[in-house]
Amino acid sequence: MIRLVRAEVFKLRTVWSTWLMLGITALLVIFVTGLTASVSPDRRAVTSFPARGSAAWLDIVFSGMTVAVYLAIVLGAVMITGEHRHKTITPTFLAEPRRGRTVAAKLVVALGGGLVVAVVAGFVALGVGLVLVGVGVAPLGAVLTEYRHVWPGVAAACVLYGAYGVGLGALLKNQVVTIVVALVAIAIVEPIIGLVAPAAARWLPGSAAQALESLAANARSHAAFGGSGGVHLVVWWVGALLLVGYGVVLAALGSLTTLRADVT
Amino acid sequence: MASIEVQGLTKRFGDVLAVDDLSFTAHEGTVTGFLGPNGAGKTTTLRIVLGLVRPSSGRALVNGRPYDELPDAMRVVGAVLESSGFHPARTARDHLRSIAMVDGIPVRRVDEVLETVGLAADARRRVGGYSMGMRQRLELARALLGDPEVLILDEPANGLDPQGIAWLRGFLRWYASLGRVVLISSHLLAEAAQTVDEVIVVNHGRMAGAGSLTELRARQGGSVRVRALDPDRLAGLLADAGFAVRRQGEEVVEATGTTAESVGRLMAEHGVVVLEMTTEGESLEELFFEMTAGRAPDGLVRAGPNGAAGAKAEVGTA
Ligand SMILES: Nc1ncnc2c1ncn2[C@@H]1O[C@H](COP(=O)(O)OP(=O)(O)OP(=O)(O)O)[C@@H](O)[C@H]1O
Ligand SMILES: [Mg+2]
Repeated sequence: MIRLVRAEVFKLRTVWSTWLMLGITALLVIFVTGLTASVSPDRRAVTSFPARGSAAWLDIVFSGMTVAVYLAIVLGAVMITGEHRHKTITPTFLAEPRRGRTVAAKLVVALGGGLVVAVVAGFVALGVGLVLVGVGVAPLGAVLTEYRHVWPGVAAACVLYGAYGVGLGALLKNQVVTIVVALVAIAIVEPIIGLVAPAAARWLPGSAAQALESLAANARSHAAFGGSGGVHLVVWWVGALLLVGYGVVLAALGSLTTLRADVT
Repeated sequence: MASIEVQGLTKRFGDVLAVDDLSFTAHEGTVTGFLGPNGAGKTTTLRIVLGLVRPSSGRALVNGRPYDELPDAMRVVGAVLESSGFHPARTARDHLRSIAMVDGIPVRRVDEVLETVGLAADARRRVGGYSMGMRQRLELARALLGDPEVLILDEPANGLDPQGIAWLRGFLRWYASLGRVVLISSHLLAEAAQTVDEVIVVNHGRMAGAGSLTELRARQGGSVRVRALDPDRLAGLLADAGFAVRRQGEEVVEATGTTAESVGRLMAEHGVVVLEMTTEGESLEELFFEMTAGRAPDGLVRAGPNGAAGAKAEVGTA
């Protein structure tokens, strides 16, 4: 099993698409956090928006790191759908004919991949935070405190979303379909369910991830990101269990269905 | 004992019966040719042997075990397959390394097999830029990673240049001589004949013939044409000896189902003066068409190279 894990890490390292995804992560985090930070609250009609430089404001700025979870999903999804796409699934299964073990190894490596995405996002956001200190918007202490509140939750969500991507990819097999389904589910379907049936929505992956993201933020409102503001989130560890569950159940379903299919 | 055993194998893809109750064994120390026209079920059979396709019924064993029960499969079986792939952005060496790792095969071995197939100089290039023949060589390198005792190759000559094909032939002969099992599929019996010892012919998923190449050669029909001073007497002698005889014009007698040697001996024995003697052998390819034509749609036979169907017709009326 350890060999399979090493092989999967090696596969990720040796294609540029992995590095591209990390690059996109960095750019997106700069874009979202930078944009949030530069929007002047004075010009906003929303009176409830926290004052520039306040703890709550920093919290919202750092929440921009949340975009990284999308890249974690894509990374996980590509790990398995890419093998179908490039037909490397044939040599992969020839080397390890017990297919479930390969998927298990991919799940494990995707957790790590999600962490790497989170680390990249974290570094970039920290950079933005230090710029805010530099230009005198907020004191260093406040920046670091809020950063510590937000990052662990985002990291946990990225880690688990990586595995979720593998699971979904194992089930759906097609790369484009998997990525589109994952993104549409989180960005469109879940918010709609959140509006019509908030009680059910809290059990869905997106809300579970949001619960995780509020892990260290101690129930501070995260309504500023994600569309399911009306959903009463579960506690963070239930969210974690839910996300692990989604990843494992999807991967298991995939192993029993799509993955058993003939490779021709 | 290394071996590949296929027992009562059947595979349906929806309405298509790709493999139909196929049984055969490939033994160690021999190169076994697995032959058949397009769509005969060769690739499907090989993929079942390799655990990639699930049979509808029957089973396939390597060294007495199903593929997915082999420990460190790559060290037992190496396979070259048609539609196996590469990540275009990965280098050939990294592609092999990523696979070698799974069975704990060292990087040293990766460089070794790249050397063997003649890709050492291009090892650090991205596979996306490889030519078809180079990709085929890389496939072969992958198959050899575990120094397997069983080698399964689905049309390995695809895309190889003449030198590559010649090299591959020698390589496979050498590999089998080490006491290993080599199973190789091909469309062309005549081409495979230079490499294989045993032949299995499939057509429409069914066994259409099997045996050693020597046995097949013995089954090849042939004819001997003789121009003699006394053709009537010669025709009588040949007919008495039990050969099918036909007269062609005034002077020529044609005997089928015999060899020049037996005809020559017969004529010497009876003092017949020979003016000219020619032999006309049925080529292995014609034999192959005979074996597969029974069930192959006409189109397939005509699609053969060098107007093969015409050649067959000639044999039929000879
Ligand atoms: N995945 C699949 N789905 C449906 N039919 C299939 C599939 N794979 C193979 N077949 C069918 O099974 C039959 C045997 O195909 P196969 O590829 O095994 O033939 P082959 O002997 O390898 O032919 P070729 O010489 O062209 O490579 C064909 O009729 C083919 O269309
Ligand atoms: Mg084929």
